[in-house]
Amino acid sequence: MVASYFRRAYSSFVTHILDVPARLLAFLFSILLLVIPLANPGLYIMFVLVLAAIFAIFAASWDILAGRTGQLSLGHALFFGIGGYTSAILYKYYMLPLWVTIPIGMLIAFLVAFFVGFPCLRVKGPYLSLVTLAFPLILISIFFMFKDVTGGEMGIYAPSILPIPPYTPYELRLAEFYVSMLLLIVSSIIIYKIASSKTGILFVSILDDELAAKASGINTTKYKLLAFAISALFASLAGGFYVHFLRTAGPSALVLTMSFFPVIMTILGGIGTIYGPLVGAYILTILDQYFLKTVVPIPDELHAAIYTAIVIVLVIAWPRGVGRWCVDKLEDMQEVREEEIEKKIKRKN
Amino acid sequence: MALIEDILVYGAITGAVYALLALGFTLIYGVAEILNMSHGVLYMLGAYMFVAFSAKFFQLGLLWSSVLAVVFVGFVGIAIYALIHQVIEETLAVLVVTLGATLVVQQLIRMPWAFGGSHVAVLSLLEGNITFLGATILYEQILAFVLSISLFVGVWIFITRSKIGGAMRAVAQDREAAMLMGINTERLYIITMFISAALAGIAGLLIARPVIHPRTWETPLVMSFAIVVLGGLGSIRGSFVGAFIVGYAEIAVVFLIPSGEYLRGAVALAVMVVVLIFRPAGLFGKRMEIEE
Repeated sequence: MVASYFRRAYSSFVTHILDVPARLLAFLFSILLLVIPLANPGLYIMFVLVLAAIFAIFAASWDILAGRTGQLSLGHALFFGIGGYTSAILYKYYMLPLWVTIPIGMLIAFLVAFFVGFPCLRVKGPYLSLVTLAFPLILISIFFMFKDVTGGEMGIYAPSILPIPPYTPYELRLAEFYVSMLLLIVSSIIIYKIASSKTGILFVSILDDELAAKASGINTTKYKLLAFAISALFASLAGGFYVHFLRTAGPSALVLTMSFFPVIMTILGGIGTIYGPLVGAYILTILDQYFLKTVVPIPDELHAAIYTAIVIVLVIAWPRGVGRWCVDKLEDMQEVREEEIEKKIKRKN
Repeated sequence: MALIEDILVYGAITGAVYALLALGFTLIYGVAEILNMSHGVLYMLGAYMFVAFSAKFFQLGLLWSSVLAVVFVGFVGIAIYALIHQVIEETLAVLVVTLGATLVVQQLIRMPWAFGGSHVAVLSLLEGNITFLGATILYEQILAFVLSISLFVGVWIFITRSKIGGAMRAVAQDREAAMLMGINTERLYIITMFISAALAGIAGLLIARPVIHPRTWETPLVMSFAIVVLGGLGSIRGSFVGAFIVGYAEIAVVFLIPSGEYLRGAVALAVMVVVLIFRPAGLFGKRMEIEE
């Protein structure tokens, strides 16, 4: 009984994960990540990994909007910032715990997405990108007007995720690591499910040919708004966690560069794939925070220039994404192998 | 009332220089469909190179420094084009590469052997001021206004009258047909990029004063977005009108609202959003293919 159950679980594991190269890679990678803390790599590497996981969620949230429906938003920091600031402000005034404040932040971002998405629906292509770019900048100006609430340049304090003090910094980091991994895995699975559901297919129909989608009786307005809202939900989750991870909600969560992060990561990894933004986020965060600091130490003032130059080279070399290129190669190899097997079978017959 | 006059005069000056800034942005989009995210940094480089030639590294005269700075920025524009020309079909890759170029330039400027991360003073082009309509205007601002308007008109004439300008309009209308007529699009893109970058450099040279710092590129980039979107991407007339709308909106906020300096950028962007709600392709833009 138990044995047969395990056998069935194993065979479904083989067909659903081992035989699909992209999933196999994702599986191996998440195992690797989950095992890393056992090697006790030290505070800094753990810091980098948590940061990468946060950006991976953020980038994936952008991908479901831009890569699926083709709405290239350049202002995703709006939702990231709303998630972060809401959580910190609620803590400042009401001392609410973060498992209450982050969901409230997500809810607010969700509502804001409808508010912001509505005017955005009337504009298309580059106009949409440029309009969305405006929103976080408008919000940042408003925040600077109300300095006593938002803390202005300095930002406001946000508590760490473990509330009661007796713990070492490493224990805290470890907790943050596992929470971030949990959030990342759960969000990616949800995003994957959405993308492969009927809704996800309708999203792609908007990207492929909006007019044809409309002509087939699809309410494209509704689905574009929905994509905006789903995307906002995950972006604000990442933002909320980011703020509690860095202990401050500051304007850095809303600036232009923060809007560009998910775009760069997703494009580097491969837009319109589920794994692309994750690959991009990990490559870029590790390159920026770890590789160019520890492995090949580069003087501080040159650091950002070299990092960006590497990104430019990567994007020019793989304009459709490093992740997508790898997976395509793997799938090609698998096809070749399958063809060979088929040939052998035919020969035997 | 002095307030109204202040707004009228300063709004006109800001609008004129913004028009020049946006003209370059809209030109390269119109001809090559490149959304150039490094436009802001080209603006900033105009001012930095002027500092380099006039004070920091060489002590050339003001006129020579200005000319060299603008030409240098033009060549930086060509260098950026050289980076993107391989991936020009992938809109997003272009976006990321130009953005990356921006950050690289910002970091290079920040180097201690270049200009450092703090504020750098820009030499004044013309000393002195005059009182006009009750507003005190620096000679420099008058120079900026006159030069911007005349350059704008000059570029307009170049595009509508010259042979290269005709080729630009042809490519903007239909790239493939233009290629079939024997227009060398590659060369045309390089020329357009040079002009576009030089215009941004001139705008920076004229208005990025009295001090600049390595993040000076952000506001002009966002402003050229706002203006160009307001007027309609690729429309020269639109960028002129949009520049004055944004210029006046900004200046009015600074003068009319206490602590309006913070809202300066936000209001311009809000104006843009409101206009787009009513005219989704800007004031003078081509309609996109799908209608709501």
